[in-house]
Amino acid sequence: MSQKFERRGIHVDQSELLCKKGCGYYGNTSWQGLCSKCWREEYQRARQKQIQEDWALAEKLQREEEAAYASSQGAQSQPQPSLAPFSKFEEKKTNEKTRKVTTVKKFFSPSSRTASKKAPSEKVEKVPGARERHGETLLRDLRGIFTPPWEMVSPTEENHEGKTPSPSVSRQSSTETDRVSRDFVEFLKNLQKPGREIHKQCRAFIESMANKKDLGADELSECVQDFYQNMSDRLLTHFKGSTDRVERVMDQVEKYIMTRLYKNVFCPETTDDEKKDLATQNRIRALHWVTIQMLCVPVDEEIPEVSDSVVKAITDIIEMDSKRVPRDKLACITRCSKHIFNAIRVTKNEPASADDFLPALIYIVLKANPPRLQSNIQYITRFCNPSRLMSGEDGYYFTNLCCAVAFIEKLDAQSLNLSPEDFERYMSGQMSPCRPEPEAWPSAGPGISPALREARRSLDLLASLEARQERVLEGARTLESDLIDWQESVEREVREILGRFPLEVRPPASAIDSDNVENDRLPPPLQPQVFAG
Amino acid sequence: MSGPRVDAKVVMLGKESVGKTSLVERYVHQRFLVGPYQNTIGAAFVAKSVQVRDKVVTLGIWDTAGSERYEAMSRIYYRGAKAAIVCYDLTDSSSFLRAKFWVKELQNCEEHCKIYLCGTKTDLIEADRSARQVDYHDVQDFADEIKAQYFETSSKTGRSVEDLFRKVAADYISTTFEVMSEERGVNLEQKKDPFFYSCCHN
Repeated sequence: MSQKFERRGIHVDQSELLCKKGCGYYGNTSWQGLCSKCWREEYQRARQKQIQEDWALAEKLQREEEAAYASSQGAQSQPQPSLAPFSKFEEKKTNEKTRKVTTVKKFFSPSSRTASKKAPSEKVEKVPGARERHGETLLRDLRGIFTPPWEMVSPTEENHEGKTPSPSVSRQSSTETDRVSRDFVEFLKNLQKPGREIHKQCRAFIESMANKKDLGADELSECVQDFYQNMSDRLLTHFKGSTDRVERVMDQVEKYIMTRLYKNVFCPETTDDEKKDLATQNRIRALHWVTIQMLCVPVDEEIPEVSDSVVKAITDIIEMDSKRVPRDKLACITRCSKHIFNAIRVTKNEPASADDFLPALIYIVLKANPPRLQSNIQYITRFCNPSRLMSGEDGYYFTNLCCAVAFIEKLDAQSLNLSPEDFERYMSGQMSPCRPEPEAWPSAGPGISPALREARRSLDLLASLEARQERVLEGARTLESDLIDWQESVEREVREILGRFPLEVRPPASAIDSDNVENDRLPPPLQPQVFAG
Repeated sequence: MSGPRVDAKVVMLGKESVGKTSLVERYVHQRFLVGPYQNTIGAAFVAKSVQVRDKVVTLGIWDTAGSERYEAMSRIYYRGAKAAIVCYDLTDSSSFLRAKFWVKELQNCEEHCKIYLCGTKTDLIEADRSARQVDYHDVQDFADEIKAQYFETSSKTGRSVEDLFRKVAADYISTTFEVMSEERGVNLEQKKDPFFYSCCHN
């Protein structure tokens, strides 16, 4: 990203710079060492090949489906329409507008097939049409899957003409562009005659850039940088060496030009910026577990002012993507850095040095995961006024951001003071540094974000709840076994007693007292006595 | 937002805690920080105008992170620098080894960058002679070998700090004016090319 800082001063062997195809022109690393012409050819060829393959695959699927359909239909002797996708372009073009309709028809085509069974005479002509469209939709869907989104605009025309005509600069108009143009004219009015001249130059330049869309990003960058150089040289002679005034005009020129060119030169498809963006984004996502302690960031988020600054810094770095002018993007980085400095100052009670600042910035980038980070860095490097980028304060913070990104890309176990095993485990998500052994929690100490602490508290709570539930379950289990034991013991006892005293049903006693066990203690039975009288 | 215009980029290189930040702090604010200071936001980047005879030059002084974990990135920092102040702690011989590493890096990557060696914390040595771990003559030899200026400073007392930066500014002015007079001719050539280029393409 930053080897472009001194593009003009790099000393490399000439042969290394030449196109790999040996056509004699200069090559470029972002085009895999080819020159712009060879790269375009290569790129077109690869794409054509891809498209052909997609077609072949679609046709194969179509044939398979056809065969399956034919076998299921068996005796039905209706001529199968031979699918010739390449000859159908004209029709497809018109179909493009009514795509929804064809998709709907696709859903209905099987039913029309079954209908044809019942009334073959009536449907015979219609079925092939429906099936043909079905095949086309399938093909188109497949192409939709295989073609990158930017080519989706008009895939069929592109195949014929070889490239997409993107809207010309003059046609793209948004409220922002209009506003910037108005501001620019307004600003130039104060300069009177040179103002008109500057405006004319800028317009001519933007129009010339519209014709150079095929050029690689670095060539576009060259053009813009040359324009800056020419313009500031002229202004310098005009203002007789007053660098301040030149600077002010150049800021406006940059704003005007880059707002206009933004759409065409930000993350152009001739580079792999987009791929890098995604790679960085995924990388940062994979590193979500990195803590403030691992990076040795002197920021204590428990202090409200500090956490406030951290949030603001994150917002600013994310906001960078929404700006169009390189200088505005730089301003976002600078604002972000100022907030970081504030956070460090409040935490440490002393002015921050680079040793504190860089890790903090890395931490902020990891937390923010700013959208299209690589594209933005590339865009600033390519199209910012170099005087600002090279030595000024904005340049310093931008350089730090570049360092932060480079660090994140190369980050390994050693740079976080972790063992390679731990690093692997964190990266694969098997372990999270927030939950090592429970006794390590409190020692994690300050510097953890409040949200993290809250989460840990919840985890603690959950753990204790779990333990309590375990206890309840344990109690329930003992109760259950107690109950079973009790039941068994009762039964045993009952059985024992029953064994000891078996139930004997004796025949009813002949006399009430016959088997009275204690009859010996009873008084003798009364004897009848006869009284004379 | 963007602050003052800066003419020359000066990078501070050196191991952690050799006193890069203190050196800058002393130079820019004429003070040495011992306790908590609230009124300054950070010394990682400062711009300071220096007057040398009839010329004024604004130095943009870049502090860099000295930790070894950022070593791979240090090239990004000193790219395009006009001068590098390589610092080491006079009471720590390992910091001088690191300084040698940076000097080598600079010689390989930034041939137009002037190198200044700066031994810090002389006040500690004045208090206790035995604290010195980096021999003056060794450094002198090394400085001669790499054709660098050599200073021993103390941010606490302010010794030689002003001299160091004044020398940086003076050297910058003298070389720029030489280069400028040389480049004038080349510049005109360069300007023509893109001009015709854009003409043809219109």
